[in-house]
Amino acid sequence: MNDIFKIAWRNLWRNRRRTMITSASVFFAVFFATIMRSYQLGTYDQMITNLIESYTGHLQIQHKEYQDNPMIDYSFGYDDTLISAVSRIKNVVSATPHLESFALASNGPQTKPVAIVAIDPLKERMFSNPENKLVKYRISESAVAAMEKSGLFPSEVMKKVRENAGRAYSSDARLELETGLTGSEALKYLPEILRYCKTENGFLGEHDDGVVISDRLAGYLKAGIGDTLVLLGQGYQGASAAGLFPVRGIIKMPSPEIDSRLIMMTIEKAQEFLDCPGKITTLAISLTGRSDRVMNQAKKEIAAIIPDGTTVKTWIELNPILYQQIQGDSQSGMLMLGLLYFIIFFGIFGTVLMMVAERRKEFGVLVSIGMQKSRLKRIILTEMSLLGVFGLAGGMAAASPLIMYFYYNPIVLKGNLGKMMEDYGWDAVMPAAWFGPYFYWQAVIVALMVIIASLYPMRKIKKLKEIEALRG
Amino acid sequence: MKILELRNVNKIYDGSEVHVHAVNNISLDFEEGEFAAVVGPSGSGKTTLLNLIGGLDIPTSGTIIIDGTDLSLLKPSQLIDFRLRNIGFVFQSYNLIPVLTAKENVDFIMSLQKWPAEKRDARTMELLTAVGLAERVNSRPAKLSGGQQQRVAVARALASKPKFILADEPTANLDSKAAATLLEIMEKLNLEEKITFIFSTHDPRVVNMARRVITLLDGKVVSDEIRKKENKPA
Repeated sequence: MNDIFKIAWRNLWRNRRRTMITSASVFFAVFFATIMRSYQLGTYDQMITNLIESYTGHLQIQHKEYQDNPMIDYSFGYDDTLISAVSRIKNVVSATPHLESFALASNGPQTKPVAIVAIDPLKERMFSNPENKLVKYRISESAVAAMEKSGLFPSEVMKKVRENAGRAYSSDARLELETGLTGSEALKYLPEILRYCKTENGFLGEHDDGVVISDRLAGYLKAGIGDTLVLLGQGYQGASAAGLFPVRGIIKMPSPEIDSRLIMMTIEKAQEFLDCPGKITTLAISLTGRSDRVMNQAKKEIAAIIPDGTTVKTWIELNPILYQQIQGDSQSGMLMLGLLYFIIFFGIFGTVLMMVAERRKEFGVLVSIGMQKSRLKRIILTEMSLLGVFGLAGGMAAASPLIMYFYYNPIVLKGNLGKMMEDYGWDAVMPAAWFGPYFYWQAVIVALMVIIASLYPMRKIKKLKEIEALRG
Repeated sequence: MKILELRNVNKIYDGSEVHVHAVNNISLDFEEGEFAAVVGPSGSGKTTLLNLIGGLDIPTSGTIIIDGTDLSLLKPSQLIDFRLRNIGFVFQSYNLIPVLTAKENVDFIMSLQKWPAEKRDARTMELLTAVGLAERVNSRPAKLSGGQQQRVAVARALASKPKFILADEPTANLDSKAAATLLEIMEKLNLEEKITFIFSTHDPRVVNMARRVITLLDGKVVSDEIRKKENKPA
């Protein structure tokens, strides 16, 4: 151990309580900042992923006027050669055609405006794979009643089930997550709960003339599998569009906004319904990642091969409001963290002030007996760095298992908070973000705080006059 | 051999209202192996003179030459390095590094000079044995008495084999027994190893032991008395 580190290390423990308090303040700042940021970024990532994977894709080819006027009149003709050309571009995973429009959907006395998304069922498997989102379990009133009657379930489990009555799930993991069953409860009762809640479902065939509707829409229209919906809308260039469509299946979309208004049918059937043979409105393109570099490179190459009158847009250009919401929320989050670190900085700075005041004479002695000021500065910088490192390492170590846990077991928001998030069109789930730059940035911030706080003792040492310091 | 020369040295503290001529045109020479005490009443300029000799303070005018080096020609960092290699300090209130043991305090000076570890260890033990602290090498200052701390301070001051040692009131905070022990050690080192000591003191025991006594009054040298070697501490 060299002398600088040895002296710095021992100096830290001269005032053990102060060292502990200062390190603890850094610890808590790092811990809370990391957890808060992880949740924030995890939630954004979830929102963006939901949107990209379920709807827009990373990039989209569309008519130049389509974004401002999303009408069927701004559709464009396509064939498989365009898809093949796009698919050959670097970082493109899939190119999936969609034909989108609006209509009124009726079932008995219930009517609701809906978004029609027409898909190619085979190609869609490579994109949003809606079959994975088919409702597999539903906690219906009848299922709850049957479970209660069976007497198999303890009251705590029944309470959790009842709280989620009416909800539908596309996987057993989602049901387990949202009901909030503990590990032991899930192990013991989940298979039975799934048995009571299991529901039959179906999907579109390649040339199907039926529709798949989203779960919330199905609830509103009181429509089930086998029911027939009436769709009434406007087709290409003002043609009237009307038709009867049998319901083949019900899907659960992660975004509540989309879940309350989505109807899926085959492109073939939609082109017939809307009187626009050979046309689509969008070609959604999935990429290997959503970094600016990947998106911009692919966008540039795709722009060179698309038909006249069409354009290629990124998911950000397609969702400017969501992007701005995320940016705004992220910035306010960073402001909060900045405030937290600002307060902690003054805690560290207070320690530095006291330390310099207490040890001024000692600094004078060290320089008097022959220690260069640069060496003395290194001792103080080492002390400060150790203070920061203790808190930083502790904060990161304490936050890491929580981040890992909540990454794999996201918090499901319930009650009013959950409803509020769903009203905003967000999924009421808060996953943590996996370790990334936000995590390592904490080290940079703490290092900066230490460096800034160290400027004061550095300056004091530089200006130190031995004779004055020795007087105390 | 002459190791220290002061030529017409002045130190004036010129405050807004107070003008103090703390050291007034002093010229002195010190030879190797001297055991000299600078005495005088409070405010006579003893500590200021020692601070100027030690390069801790800068004279208003005049020249201080140590072993041929004019201190006024050295840059601040060179002056610090010069002190490290040529001057040992013993302070009134010991001023050991509190987080280092007795051994480490002595060793520290040599490590600043980048001595090899084996040489440092040997020198440290030799010095701590010489000041009678071979048994307390691993004690930190807080675990040592005032007298023991001052003996460690003497060992530290000797560590880098300086040209001379400046001791500012070294016995002021010690009881008579500890002071006597310390003075005996310093005299022994002076006589046996020809190490030059320059004290500022009020302590009559130190004055009795000194072989040269320089008396200051109002910043001026009023007497410079050379005594015989036989003087012993009281």
